[in-house]
Amino acid sequence: MKLYIVTDSTADIPKELAAELDIHIVPLKVHIGDMTYLDGVTLSTGEFYEKLAQADKLPRTSQPSPADFVDVYESLAAREEDGEVISIHLSSALSGTYQTANLAKDMVREKINVHAIDSRTASYALGAIVVAVARAARVGNGLQYCLDLTQRLIANHKAFFVMDTLMYLQKGGRIGKASAVLGSLLNVKPILTFDEAGEVAAVEKVRGKKKAVGRIVDLINEYAAGEPVVASVVHATSHEEAEALKVRVAETLNITEDIVVTELGPVIGTYGGPGLLAVMLYKV
Amino acid sequence: MRSNTLTGQALRQMYKAGAERLTQHVKKVDALNVFPVPDGDTGTNMNLTFTSGVTELEKSQEKTVEKISAIFSRGLLMGARGNSGVILSQLFRGFAKGLSGVSEADSYRLAEAFQQGVEMAYKAVMKPVEGTILTVAREAAAAARKAARSCSVEDVIETLVEAARQALANTPNQLPVLKEVGVVDSGGQGLVYIYEGFLSAVKADVTFDKPEMEAESVVAGGTSLFGEAHEEMHHVIDQTNIQYGYCTEFMVHLKPDTPFLQQEFQERIGSYGDSLLVVADDDLVKVHIHAEEPGDVLSFAHRYGALDRIKIENMRLQHEEVLRRQETKQIAQAQKPDDDLERVSASSEPKKASKLYAIISVASGKGIAKIFRSLGVQIIIEGGQTMNPSTEQFMHAIEEADAERVIILPNNKNIVMAAQQAADLAGVQVAVIPSTSIPQGMSSLLAFSADEQLETNRERMSEALGYVKTGLVTYAVRDTTLNEIVIKEGDFIGIFDSNIVVSGRDPYETALRLITEMVGEEDELITLIYGTDVKGEDMKELEKRLASLYDAYEVEVHDGGQSLYPFIIAVE
Repeated sequence: MKLYIVTDSTADIPKELAAELDIHIVPLKVHIGDMTYLDGVTLSTGEFYEKLAQADKLPRTSQPSPADFVDVYESLAAREEDGEVISIHLSSALSGTYQTANLAKDMVREKINVHAIDSRTASYALGAIVVAVARAARVGNGLQYCLDLTQRLIANHKAFFVMDTLMYLQKGGRIGKASAVLGSLLNVKPILTFDEAGEVAAVEKVRGKKKAVGRIVDLINEYAAGEPVVASVVHATSHEEAEALKVRVAETLNITEDIVVTELGPVIGTYGGPGLLAVMLYKV
Repeated sequence: MRSNTLTGQALRQMYKAGAERLTQHVKKVDALNVFPVPDGDTGTNMNLTFTSGVTELEKSQEKTVEKISAIFSRGLLMGARGNSGVILSQLFRGFAKGLSGVSEADSYRLAEAFQQGVEMAYKAVMKPVEGTILTVAREAAAAARKAARSCSVEDVIETLVEAARQALANTPNQLPVLKEVGVVDSGGQGLVYIYEGFLSAVKADVTFDKPEMEAESVVAGGTSLFGEAHEEMHHVIDQTNIQYGYCTEFMVHLKPDTPFLQQEFQERIGSYGDSLLVVADDDLVKVHIHAEEPGDVLSFAHRYGALDRIKIENMRLQHEEVLRRQETKQIAQAQKPDDDLERVSASSEPKKASKLYAIISVASGKGIAKIFRSLGVQIIIEGGQTMNPSTEQFMHAIEEADAERVIILPNNKNIVMAAQQAADLAGVQVAVIPSTSIPQGMSSLLAFSADEQLETNRERMSEALGYVKTGLVTYAVRDTTLNEIVIKEGDFIGIFDSNIVVSGRDPYETALRLITEMVGEEDELITLIYGTDVKGEDMKELEKRLASLYDAYEVEVHDGGQSLYPFIIAVE
């Protein structure tokens, strides 16, 4: 039996790493002006933020079509008899991607067994979990082990993030429970997370980005409580801040491997906007 | 009039005389401020509080000390402003409890009532501090109790006053900061004035140091005696049959060349009506009379000289108004199971509130109000530094908020107690977050979450008060030396949390030096809220200097529009 790992482009897994671990990525779509791009395929992260800065209208995004999933699943079915797929996706509270994966799963039932999973998170919080599961599969762990691992890591993961502005989140209709913090005359920065339902929720409100980043470091340490963790720093067009944050996080957390710094991809970037900073981790 | 019991009427007079004596000395009590800041308002607060008791009393015709003290107490409770006002309201609430069930009080009962007031007031204060109004009230009551064993009512009050004065004189020995500044406690002084007023009402020939009044003469200025006599007359009027319908008051500036014989004048003018009162000195006569033809009275008096300050009121209409008010009150009271003070809340009938949460905040300055609104505050009570809102204002705001749970941010140390008093009286759940400054209020608001229980919000919002440091720049209203800082009148002073740390001639320099004192390595954000006295040009210069001095920090500047305080600074 061969075990395949599939995710979507919002996992922000660097291309080389995905290739190395044989992770199959289904791209979401980004619409800027009249153009439609495949996230990470026909539009790189760098290009996206350039276009975002120039666009007079906010980009829109759309989930992959059922056919996009079917294509990927069928190509895997063609590789080997009785293969199994673990397909882990972006929070169903933010996108219909997971639902579409389920639809596609039924469509390919005759050919391959797909286990679609709602990660209830996004970006490299999702990505790191997918990478861990892919590694486990690579060293020969079976389907059940990998499914259990996926659920355990989802249950033990956390992401905290701060945005320069909530405008993108609000206009994109993804603001969820964080809407209460809008409209302040002070430079109020909510610290956001994905709650248990996978929705964006404000944990705290602080004033100024400096304080917000400091609070994120506190909160992530409170959550980790000294236990061994795998952590990452995600940013949008803020390389320097992200590197500085990486150093702070590395100093305080009990990390078991190097902290990955990655840039927020186009789809989630449409809602986060430039300036976003995040720390994401799971307990090993 | 040595007497062994205190009648209701005498108690009325005591309250009125107490209010009057305090009113005459408001400025003096205000000035007894430890900090030389322009918003010393203990006297103002106590006076507004005490006067609201008298106002309440004037609406009633009650005769017993039980009822009169209860009504007075309710007036105080609702009118309480500032911490001194709240303590005062509790003193007289306990006093009223001590007089419950009696129509006249003997000296023993009276002294016990003062004692009960002290106990009630101590209970209202979380951490009682000695050397304050509480000490003065306690020592006075203790002495009164001792005296009550063998003395008349009059002697008890005389002892009360004497002991209060002594306790007041001793306050600088109990509170070092009073000694340093060279003042006695302001709240204690206010209470002494009230007690002195009490004494003047029960004892005929009391003299005090002359109050500084702008009396144009004994007659015009002596409103006290005149006013009381006037009130007394109105109380004895047969309310059902008013023969002389107009209460007429005026003054006559006597012609220098016309002889004036008071006896004759009184007899002649008396034929126009009743309830006559004439007070005269060499060149001025003040007249009060109830007459049916006030015009005739004025024509007659005009022969003696020019008329001044004429006031004519229609007593029949007034009487109807009084009756109507009493009726409403009686209906309201009949609907209540009992007349306890706890039940003064106007909206006692349960009704469904329109929303879950509402936040009420005290703030002064348009810009500050705007900031607070943007942070989720629904109701702003104008006030703070210059004006402390009353318990009643908070009650109205709570009602207006129309929410199941209400959170109040007083944003001033001197407002916390009045807010708490309103919270205790309200029919809905109210949490008072003891914020003592605008920066604390802002910090606290960020910790609010509509998804949480009131208790959780209370905890988090209270904890958030400690996340921010508060700085204030204001100007000194007198010379003083505090914490080894020499301050001249008109200087700008910088207050960090509750200590004066810098002073100087220039507000911008003072602000910069204050910020230096406030900012630590752990801080990240400096917020400057400037007031109405700050000029655009100088402000821009200050902003520039702040940006370069504190480039490792985030600096925010907002137009607060507050008066008296050129700068309010938050460092966090």
